[in-house]
Amino acid sequence: MRLKTIAPHIILVLFACYIALPPLWVLRTSFVPDSVAYQPALMPEFTWQNYVKLFTEGTFARAYLNSFIASAGATILGLPLAAMTGYAFARYRTGGQISRFVVLATQMLPPVAIILPVFALFRMVGLTNSVTGLMIAYAAINLPFLTWILMGFFEGVPIELEWAAQVDGATVWEAFWKIVMPVSLPGIAAAAVLGFILAWNEFLFALILTGPTTATIPVALAGLQSSNGVQIAEISAGVVMGILPMLLASRFIQRYLVRGLTFGAVK
Amino acid sequence: MADIELRNVSKRYTGRVAAVEDVNLHIRDGEFMIFLGPSGCGKSTTLRMIAGLENISSGELFIGGKRMNDVAPRDRNIAVVFQSYALYPHMTVAENLAFGLKMHKRPQSEIEERVKRVSAMLGIGQFLERKPAALSGGQRQRVALGRALVRDPAAFLLDEPLSNLDAQLRADMRLELVKLHRQLGSTIIHVTHDQVEAMTMGERICIMKDGRVVQVGAPLDVYRNPANTFVAGFLASPPMNLIEARLTGEGDGLWVEAGAMRLQVPAAYREAYRAYVDKPVIFGIRAEDIHAHQAQPDWQALDADVVALETLGAEVVLVMGISGIARADIAARLGRDYRAQIGSRQQLYADLAEMQLFDPQTTNAIPRPQP
Ligand SMILES: Nc1ncnc2c1ncn2[C@@H]1O[C@H](COP(=O)(O)OP(=O)(O)OP(=O)(O)O)[C@@H](O)[C@H]1O
Ligand SMILES: [Mg+2]
Repeated sequence: MRLKTIAPHIILVLFACYIALPPLWVLRTSFVPDSVAYQPALMPEFTWQNYVKLFTEGTFARAYLNSFIASAGATILGLPLAAMTGYAFARYRTGGQISRFVVLATQMLPPVAIILPVFALFRMVGLTNSVTGLMIAYAAINLPFLTWILMGFFEGVPIELEWAAQVDGATVWEAFWKIVMPVSLPGIAAAAVLGFILAWNEFLFALILTGPTTATIPVALAGLQSSNGVQIAEISAGVVMGILPMLLASRFIQRYLVRGLTFGAVK
Repeated sequence: MADIELRNVSKRYTGRVAAVEDVNLHIRDGEFMIFLGPSGCGKSTTLRMIAGLENISSGELFIGGKRMNDVAPRDRNIAVVFQSYALYPHMTVAENLAFGLKMHKRPQSEIEERVKRVSAMLGIGQFLERKPAALSGGQRQRVALGRALVRDPAAFLLDEPLSNLDAQLRADMRLELVKLHRQLGSTIIHVTHDQVEAMTMGERICIMKDGRVVQVGAPLDVYRNPANTFVAGFLASPPMNLIEARLTGEGDGLWVEAGAMRLQVPAAYREAYRAYVDKPVIFGIRAEDIHAHQAQPDWQALDADVVALETLGAEVVLVMGISGIARADIAARLGRDYRAQIGSRQQLYADLAEMQLFDPQTTNAIPRPQP
């Protein structure tokens, strides 16, 4: 009986270590000097220096800001569009099965396949080496994904709610904004956070479309690897700083995703 | 206040057979109309077409004499209570009640006044600041009703509003709805599955099947004169017993014969039924017309093989077979003290004063004089 409960726990602990060890090691490395970073010792020396250097020298602080602007901007730009598209798919079956598939199919295209044409187009209109350009690109890239997620959420909103609003005197448009949107708020928040994370972690487009002053975190981190050899401690500090907002965001997502979608509209 | 008229109204969803087919129905101003029918027969679809939530594929709809086919739901001045209640989950009860009035741009003072009046009327005054999630089923049902009432609409469409409630609450709400109708005098269409609701609440019942209206009439009329075997077998519980039989004639008399059962048709119906002599018919008799004792001389003996006894307290429903008849689910409602051995043969007495005969081909009732 005891063995039965202990055995699964041992397996779970092993798995947890397997998953958690690399990020924990990054955290550890970010607090030791570069010179001893590769030693297997747990904490040979402690220092804040990596973080101080990261934000005072080089372009990392700038990259941090760029990442925020590009990711948040892309979300703000893309979400209303995705909401309306997703709603049209969910409620009116706009375009039927095919249009849904096409939306999904764009996600199957490897990003490398479209990066060069995008670069060419952006250069023509002067959007390369600009955070605004990156923001627009991210909004477009995330649109299908966000549409797909929100479609699922809207399908979960009982149509009777809209009907009730309509007989109560609302137009279709008012029913959407006053009833469907507030009711789907948890879903929309979740989609926003997911979209933000996708943009935040994106590397390829950022690498091609930005320059030194417009780089985002992933690009800036990559930069630390090439200039003076691999500055592993500083990179670790950068990785930790890069992950931090995501950790906060994922808690936020969880809180919203577990909440019932319609919380009491329908018995 | 408005009457509602459907003329040849049909609904066809793409790629399906018609969900509602050629419905003609006139609901009078101030009438309490019941829609009754099995699941999927098109009750909700009809309701939604009246409310404007679903396009009418063909036919015409008039509310208060005006053609409404192309009028938006919000301009029809109709309130709907959905089976699921469909309360706005992100709004408080007060906001739920006020939403329709706000949409119609009523002044704030009037909104407050009406919300207060309706919530007092329905006894939901103490919940005004709560969200629907924090209400019980019965309370939600009242809020849904309140949301319809505040707007003072021309007609109410109620789609099985009581079906989510427990038996006690349902009985209470049944009475309250009837009372409300008497107070307001508005036109009400009430959709239900429930036999008791159908019999007790409405002024008329409209019975539907497969998207068509089968019979419309006052509850007792429909009960006593079902138009066909479907209505006979659907309305009431237990439903009318329907037995495949033959009509035989001997001299002046007429008999219904099935297996070991041989019952004489009352003299009053002989003329009406004579054309069916020596033909197969479907014999219909209500469970309450089969008795344990012969209280009237013209009640006729019947040998029943007891299959089951359902002791309901107020009565005993005897389920029986008759030798030579295939079906063994013929029901009789007997006094509460009736007892019999399962499997035994008992003598019962049939009162044929309210009998019906149906044509097996068309399933329609064969017309006969009223008892
Ligand atoms: N949006 C739709 N698309 C296709 N078919 C539909 C749609 N809505 C309803 N139907 C079909 O139309 C028919 C009538 O449905 P309706 O909901 O009116 O039945 P109902 O009488 O209200 O049944 P219930 O008592 O179960 O509520 C059903 O066969 C149903 O499957
Ligand atoms: Mg229905």
